[in-house]
Amino acid sequence: MSAPVITVRGLTMGFGDHVVMRDLNFDIHAGEVFVILGGSGCGKSTLLKHMVGLYKPMAGRITVAGMDMDPDDDGAYRRILARIGVMFQGGALFSSMNLGENVALPITEYSGLRGRAVDDLVRLKLRQVGLEGFEHHLPEELSGGMRKRAAIARALALNPEILFLDEPSAGLDPISSAGLDALILRLNRTLGTTFVVVTHELSSILTIASRVVMLDAASKSIIAEGDPHELRDRSAHPFVRQFFNRQPGMEG
Amino acid sequence: MNNTADLDISIGSDALSLTLRGALNLQSVPGILDRLALVPRPLPKRIRADLGGVTRMDDCGALVIMELRRMAEASGGKLEMERTPDHVRELLDFLRLDSPPEPGPIRRARPDILTRFGEKTMHVVDQAASHVSFVGETTTTLASLLVRPGRLRLGDTISYMQRVGVDALPIVGLISFLLGLIMAFMSAVQLQQFGANIYVASLVALAMVRELGPIMTAIIVAGRSGSAFAAEIGTMKVSEEVDALITMGFKPAMFLVAPKVIASVLVVPLLTVFSNLFAIAGGLVIGVGTLNLTLNAYMAQTMSTLSIFDINWGIFKSAVFALLISTVGCFKGYRVRGGAASVGQATTSAVVTSIFLVILTDSVLAVILRYWRP
Ligand SMILES: Nc1ncnc2c1ncn2[C@@H]1O[C@H](COP(=O)(O)OP(=O)(O)O)[C@@H](O)[C@H]1O
Ligand SMILES: [Mg+2]
Repeated sequence: MSAPVITVRGLTMGFGDHVVMRDLNFDIHAGEVFVILGGSGCGKSTLLKHMVGLYKPMAGRITVAGMDMDPDDDGAYRRILARIGVMFQGGALFSSMNLGENVALPITEYSGLRGRAVDDLVRLKLRQVGLEGFEHHLPEELSGGMRKRAAIARALALNPEILFLDEPSAGLDPISSAGLDALILRLNRTLGTTFVVVTHELSSILTIASRVVMLDAASKSIIAEGDPHELRDRSAHPFVRQFFNRQPGMEG
Repeated sequence: MNNTADLDISIGSDALSLTLRGALNLQSVPGILDRLALVPRPLPKRIRADLGGVTRMDDCGALVIMELRRMAEASGGKLEMERTPDHVRELLDFLRLDSPPEPGPIRRARPDILTRFGEKTMHVVDQAASHVSFVGETTTTLASLLVRPGRLRLGDTISYMQRVGVDALPIVGLISFLLGLIMAFMSAVQLQQFGANIYVASLVALAMVRELGPIMTAIIVAGRSGSAFAAEIGTMKVSEEVDALITMGFKPAMFLVAPKVIASVLVVPLLTVFSNLFAIAGGLVIGVGTLNLTLNAYMAQTMSTLSIFDINWGIFKSAVFALLISTVGCFKGYRVRGGAASVGQATTSAVVTSIFLVILTDSVLAVILRYWRP
């Protein structure tokens, strides 16, 4: 397997006195689809925000693309940001811009494309997430699932090397969700994009994940790590078994 | 990773031949598009593109194909792709490039002046109508509270009294003190010429209690609290909190508006009294410090100038201003649609509208007073 693009070493994270996770250690390799699992409120979004430099670790260090994640070092942080794309759990679309403008923003800001080429590319991005024709809509005029897909299109805008997606399929219908899985796998295979995805969708995990980690709020640590199929079939941990063997209809 | 691409262009009499090599992605495509734009027109009917050397291509590379197709169609021909690698064919299929996306700008076009004027006018009409219904609902809610005061959310009301009143004390005190100081100082220069120093006390007291005290306080409250009301309710609208209140059976007018309005009406008159006292203290400092007036003389003059009516009138006015500021703030917040930008506009509009209404009301009241007590 290729060199790690993200390393997490001894990461303790929390807010004030409240420790969310203690002493996390894992690597994410180039070209992986790395899935983070865990009950709601266990710290998945917090972990993601640490990996993109929005929060500072209480202890430990994180490297991304071979560079220390240190938001105070402006130059290095910008070099990291140029290689990553992030989709936040709530979508975080700019409410004053229409969908097209949201997706166009990083393109006009960080690429040499101009004029009609930007418009065309924006439409191709929206087409890939199934939102073609909605470029003139404001975020408030869309459903939650549509906002989520638009946010994914914006995160994809520059085809970054590493994409962080926080619950991309929550709120999506099964067909959009499957389409999203296909898109993730495509980008992963054709462009070698590394994905770090938070998701609960069991079918999606089994389709896309090359490796998963499972966080546990009670022990504030990782309780399982590895190939999702192997974990499903062989894990001895009761939580992990429960997660992978839940009855259909209880997903979500 | 190799991110460079090559483009060879040769223009024959009957065909334009292009050879693309390397990686077609966000790094290389802008340069290629620029070069395509420089190919002299008119173009020959046939455009042949050799894609055999394309090693990698992403959706951004598809822009090149789209552009070549457009060029071919413009000259009435068709793009001929040669030696297309499988990965390129697969990408073009995935992007369904056979039916290219609609052309046209994605930015919202700014409407022309006439349209904007029309929209603004409709907006004002619409706003006036909804203002009336908002005021109606607020009034019935407040009236219903007279009958059943127990329905008021007392905890919220007290917390707003603190935020609107107590928290504003330092800034109101400071500004009023300085205002009194300035008024006394400026008028002293004139009044001294006539040996009428003592009337500095009258001027400061009367001007503050009748006009400036209520107005200054109202402006500060509009800036501090009117804007905060609009932002608070506006953000709640954006995040569907107001919808949640409604579906839980709470009346927004009772839950959100009444505590703010009642707190403001109770506390702003007190703030005004406080403002008057500080301004008089400011005048006193100048009077005693630089005009050789005694403390007693200054205070006696102040007391003899002010009638009970003046004091009550000022307090009444500030209660009216408080009613205006708080309802306008809540109303503007309540009308927020959309997102963050809309909250910002509501906040601005709350402050501007309430200051305007305060001054307007003050003028109207001054006219009424003129005929009522000539
Ligand atoms: N900004 C914050 N301040 C304080 N605590 C927070 C903050 N954000 C999240 N938390 C806490 O951190 C824990 C993990 O939250 P989060 O990472 O959002 O969970 P999830 O796994 O559902 O994404 C929760 O206990 C939450 O209360
Ligand atoms: Mg989360």
